[in-house]
Amino acid sequence: MGLLRYTLNRFLQAIPVMFGIAVITFLLVNSMPGNPVDVMLAEQDASPELIQAIEERYGLDEPLHIQFLNYIGFSWFLAQIGFPGFADAPPGLLQGDLGLSMYYERPVSDLMLTRLPPTLLLMMSAFAFALVTAIPLGVLAATRRNQPADHVSRIVALIGVSTPSFWIGIMLIILFSVQLGWLPSGRLVYPWRDPSHYGYGSTLELYYQTVRHLILPMIALGTLQMATIMRVERSSMIESLQKEYVKLARAYGVSERKILRKHAFRPSQLPVVTLVGLNLTSAIGGAVLIEMVFSINGMGRLLIQSIQTHDYQLVLGTTVVIGFVFVIGVIITDIAYAYIDPRVSYGEGS
Amino acid sequence: MSDTILEVTDLKTQFYTERGVVRAVDGVSFDVKQGEIVGLVGESGAGKSVTTSSVLRLIEEPGEVVGGEVDYMGRTIVGFEDTGEELVPRDEMLTEAQMRDQIRGNEIAIIFQDPMESLNPVYTVGGQVKEFIELNRDLSGEEAKEEAIEMLRRVGIPEAAERYGDYPHEFSGGMRQRVLIAMALGCRPNLIIADEPTTALDVTVEGQILELVNDLQAEFGTSFIWVTHDMGVVAEICDRVNVMYLGQIVEQGPVDEIFHDTQHPYTEALLNSIPRPDRTVDDLEPIEGTMPSARSPPSGCRFHPRCPDAREPCREIEPAFEQVAETADGAAHRASCLKHEEVGYWEAEPLEVEVEK
Ligand SMILES: Nc1ncnc2c1ncn2[C@@H]1O[C@H](COP(=O)(O)OP(=O)(O)OP(=O)(O)O)[C@@H](O)[C@H]1O
Ligand SMILES: [Mg+2]
Repeated sequence: MGLLRYTLNRFLQAIPVMFGIAVITFLLVNSMPGNPVDVMLAEQDASPELIQAIEERYGLDEPLHIQFLNYIGFSWFLAQIGFPGFADAPPGLLQGDLGLSMYYERPVSDLMLTRLPPTLLLMMSAFAFALVTAIPLGVLAATRRNQPADHVSRIVALIGVSTPSFWIGIMLIILFSVQLGWLPSGRLVYPWRDPSHYGYGSTLELYYQTVRHLILPMIALGTLQMATIMRVERSSMIESLQKEYVKLARAYGVSERKILRKHAFRPSQLPVVTLVGLNLTSAIGGAVLIEMVFSINGMGRLLIQSIQTHDYQLVLGTTVVIGFVFVIGVIITDIAYAYIDPRVSYGEGS
Repeated sequence: MSDTILEVTDLKTQFYTERGVVRAVDGVSFDVKQGEIVGLVGESGAGKSVTTSSVLRLIEEPGEVVGGEVDYMGRTIVGFEDTGEELVPRDEMLTEAQMRDQIRGNEIAIIFQDPMESLNPVYTVGGQVKEFIELNRDLSGEEAKEEAIEMLRRVGIPEAAERYGDYPHEFSGGMRQRVLIAMALGCRPNLIIADEPTTALDVTVEGQILELVNDLQAEFGTSFIWVTHDMGVVAEICDRVNVMYLGQIVEQGPVDEIFHDTQHPYTEALLNSIPRPDRTVDDLEPIEGTMPSARSPPSGCRFHPRCPDAREPCREIEPAFEQVAETADGAAHRASCLKHEEVGYWEAEPLEVEVEK
């Protein structure tokens, strides 16, 4: 009950944050050097009429504050209630419209729909891989403190933390794709597509290929996360195991296994959740590089492309959407935190 | 003699710290008889908690029980043998698994001193009480839950059934302490070790708890080791009492004897430092100075630097812990003070009191 209310609260609180992201991104993108129309017409000696026409098409002829109202989608509301001067205002962010990409000549929101899922797939599998490997290893290291298993895992973690993900990606490609030829080196197979799109006979084969294509980029992106999570899990578990409530459980004859699984484990996941929430940001940066290395058509590549081509609307749209994804990620970690630690949701409710 | 259930002999527990070895418990002997409440009193840092943890073999790194015997109803909880070079655990000493399955919780339960840290913050209060009851008694999950609610009610948690699902942070310190008490009582052990279980409680609630303890004793014949600072509580519930100072027991005997025929200056000082109805605050005499570190205890009698009665021999000679007075029912009354030994105490000069005020 407390948890449900907490969840609702967190989403409501996120609205102003998201609005802030939209405002700041809009201002930042508008202060980028270089006029998008000039870049678009780089090679041609355009007439003022042509420039005028293009500016009108993309709404760049309006003053900045009107552009902003258009972008957010306020103008559209004003148009609906017949506010003078906003008669044919276009829909905006609030209506789910992110404008038109100059480079692709397509609505930005369409591009998001095809580019966001691969990035989410990559990031979620990388974090899943990191959690599934790091948590048992961290617990193991904590229980075998200062023994060989602990030393080995700590060295592995240290290497993982200090090796750049793109380098790991390149090495994985060289080894597993080029040398051994076991796994594909690039592009993803999307499980939500029809198998025939790739020429596969069955859904099962589609899933199988999805996994095969995901393995290398997932490991490349997930290694850093695995290493950091493992370190935190280890120290947090060591701390929990020394807590008075663990001693109490021992004093009442609870077995060491149950103490590990229940009494010490759950409280020690709090720092891990915090870490995962924080790392979502850095992982977005990592995902950009991994998408380049593995030729994955995700948000990261799109963002870089849009910056290179001065695709004004697309830069704006991609940045805002990445920002929103990040906010949602933070909310989910907060909820996970509240689920583990009752003090969080209850404190918020009152 | 009534049957002894717990016998602790010359128990020694040390902590190996960076700044040296802490002899937290340094040769402690006492016993507990069936149905008896035995007090363990002494200043902060005397080694009371370490003694109780050692009895259940709960001492953790960097600490270790290094010597002595703990015998519970014929079973060896702690026991060593001398191989000539070193002390090694004896074969009949209970294994870790036996301690876990046969002793901890179901035969001997402990109430920890710190109520704020002893409950797990991420599980419900009732669930934690229930878990231990279920583990240590032949009850189904449902029955264990009912028992947990019943125990919570008996220790004075209002609306126990409603509060069963609350989390520890929703309970006050005193309520958490009562939860810990309910846990121990609910497991129906034969012996309960209570480490200052009522210090966070107000006098009314403390009174209720002490009454509950008396009831339980009558009902189930449960024995208690009651650790406390409070001589008033000792007078109220204990049958016998052990006075601890710096890792050792300095006086031991029936409560009446300890109060009315005090044999050790430290006990005397303790009794003089507590408020009593027949005295005003001005009459209180706090014990001078502070207890020295257990890393380098004073030579001779450990209390001599603070003892108002100290004389020359106290500095060099370590007093033996021996029978010092006849008691009405023949129970032992022991103390370790040179006044009771033939070492020339009475002929020697008093020591200058060296404590700083
Ligand atoms: N884990 C530990 N590491 C090092 N020294 C310790 C440890 N636990 C206890 N000690 C030392 O052992 C001595 C006895 O401590 P203990 O906790 O038994 O005191 P106590 O009589 O219970 O005091 P209090 O009334 O304050 O609870 C103290 O000098 C303390 O510093
Ligand atoms: Mg203590």
